[in-house]
Amino acid sequence: MRKSQIRNPKHRTENCPLSPRLNYFRIFLTFARNSIVRDMTFRANFLIDCLSTITWSLMDLGFYIFVVFRQTSQIGRDTGWGEWEFYTFLATTKLINGLVQAFFMPNCEEVSELVRSGNFDFALLKPIDTQFLVSLRKIDWPALSHIGVGGILLSISLWHITQREIDPAQLTLLTGVAYIFYILCGVAILYSLMISLAATSIWLGRNESLYDFWFYITNFSRYPMEIYSGDVGTPLRWICTFIIPVLIVVNVPARILAQPLAAETPEARFLLFFTPAAAVACLAISRWVFYRALRSYRSASS
Amino acid sequence: MPVIEIENLSKSYRVYQKQEGLLASVTGLFRREHKDVHAVREVNLTVEKGEFVAFLGPNGAGKTTTLKLLSGIIYPSGGTARVMGHVPWEREIAYRRRFALVMGQKNQLWWDLPALESFRLHQQIYRIEPQQYQETLDELSELLDIGRLLRQPVRDLSLGERMKMELAAALLHSPDVLFLDEPTIGLDVVAQHRIQQFLKKYQAQRQVTILLSSHYMKDVAALCQRVVIITHGEIKFDGSLSGIVDRFSGQKLITLQLAGDETPKNLARFGQVIEEQLPKVKLRIDKANVPAALTEILAQHTVEDIVVEDPPLEEVIADLFSQVQTPVAT
Repeated sequence: MRKSQIRNPKHRTENCPLSPRLNYFRIFLTFARNSIVRDMTFRANFLIDCLSTITWSLMDLGFYIFVVFRQTSQIGRDTGWGEWEFYTFLATTKLINGLVQAFFMPNCEEVSELVRSGNFDFALLKPIDTQFLVSLRKIDWPALSHIGVGGILLSISLWHITQREIDPAQLTLLTGVAYIFYILCGVAILYSLMISLAATSIWLGRNESLYDFWFYITNFSRYPMEIYSGDVGTPLRWICTFIIPVLIVVNVPARILAQPLAAETPEARFLLFFTPAAAVACLAISRWVFYRALRSYRSASS
Repeated sequence: MPVIEIENLSKSYRVYQKQEGLLASVTGLFRREHKDVHAVREVNLTVEKGEFVAFLGPNGAGKTTTLKLLSGIIYPSGGTARVMGHVPWEREIAYRRRFALVMGQKNQLWWDLPALESFRLHQQIYRIEPQQYQETLDELSELLDIGRLLRQPVRDLSLGERMKMELAAALLHSPDVLFLDEPTIGLDVVAQHRIQQFLKKYQAQRQVTILLSSHYMKDVAALCQRVVIITHGEIKFDGSLSGIVDRFSGQKLITLQLAGDETPKNLARFGQVIEEQLPKVKLRIDKANVPAALTEILAQHTVEDIVVEDPPLEEVIADLFSQVQTPVAT
């Protein structure tokens, strides 16, 4: 007789009223933990990743300090984006990029590979929201160094714009809360675009254009929207605000800190309401696209 | 009430016919020829609780596709299926908590982490209570003999060890229905045998319903009372293993032990002479001719011993597969 016998499970979990609820936050923490354990296994890779992120951030910053602002004192004409205001903007870009790259980028990027190899099967088998599982499975910890760089840059530039002689910026708790809120809206918009694009690989069999796409999109969103003016600029601004709302991702939160609200145009005030609505709409559409695509999943290889 | 009910289940794919060569590839960018592949056609099947059913069929017969349909991974093109009352492709969370699919060709554990980390994640995703989780894990690790491997990164495990981990991961939540897609593929004989032993024991004790697809007759013979043969997406046979021979083999093997100086006299007229090592002769004869052939042989030869038997199962199945292997127009 073997010592261990498989007991017939009389108290099945689904019948048991005390069974713990599906706790998405806890599962997210486990994903985070597993990711960091794995990253630490390859320590050198981890350090190189962090280092290259920070180096890139510093080079990017150096370009504005030593090149752009040697030529001009403002981004655009009479836009109110002077050197320190723009650094606030740049810091906001870094914070948002850092969040998206740390949490969503590695996962969305992997969707194409999972689909091509057929390993997407496992995501569909789990008794958990598939979009959640696919979107947050891995966390790219080194990408959080963007957030570190962004945080430092933000602190320095905020100190400058609150200390300036003419019309110093007033920061209150409300501006802080609003800033975080609009950053999250921005992350939601970028995430939605990303997961929708990743979902197309289910239809197409493979779609590895995600990084390219990311580059094009962030290229537009990384400058103040005021510079998009004129015959081509205005329609572009309109499209990137209302059709693919990437322009509001960084602009809206950055304005809250860097531009006095009293001086805001009606358009900018409108965007304060439009942004959360756009974020919700984007999330809803991306969820629809994702689940629509799942219906067509073909499951490669046996 | 049956656990699995399948009615007229069909799945067809459109596949792009890629032509050879560069020019054809470029043309393929603009105009593509497609072919419809009918992976599963009008399959009907009912499985009762606690049955251990084998899907047997050549590569591409539709075994895996059927298991994927029942797991809700893919949508069917037609027909219906219910597993424990759920329509699989609706992908309800309640359904997904009650079954497991193990694929011999795919790996679901985190590659760079010890299996235990993946197990903990499963505990949370499947909402297994800590005490029950620990009990199940202890039982599985003893039965599969994996206790010492739990803390090793999965990438450092052998194929056989990894397969055991995959099984353990799939069984942590004590599924009521288990789909196994070639779980012993690529394993050596010893590892295959261990997995078979485990499955046998597990099934006997838990009374779970299992559908197993395999290429290895040994898996099937060791585990399943019921065999379903699928070729070209259609069910060709549904019954016991011995039933296969009765149904598909129209021949018998006859072994004659002739007396000392006896020489065989034109035995080939009765059927095929497979082996002739005097004084032993082995013949393959159509079932219908056996009585007549035996009477004649006994009249003409002095025979010390006669054995009449069915051809080996593997041979019958190999014959069956090769018969249907000839392409069918789609």
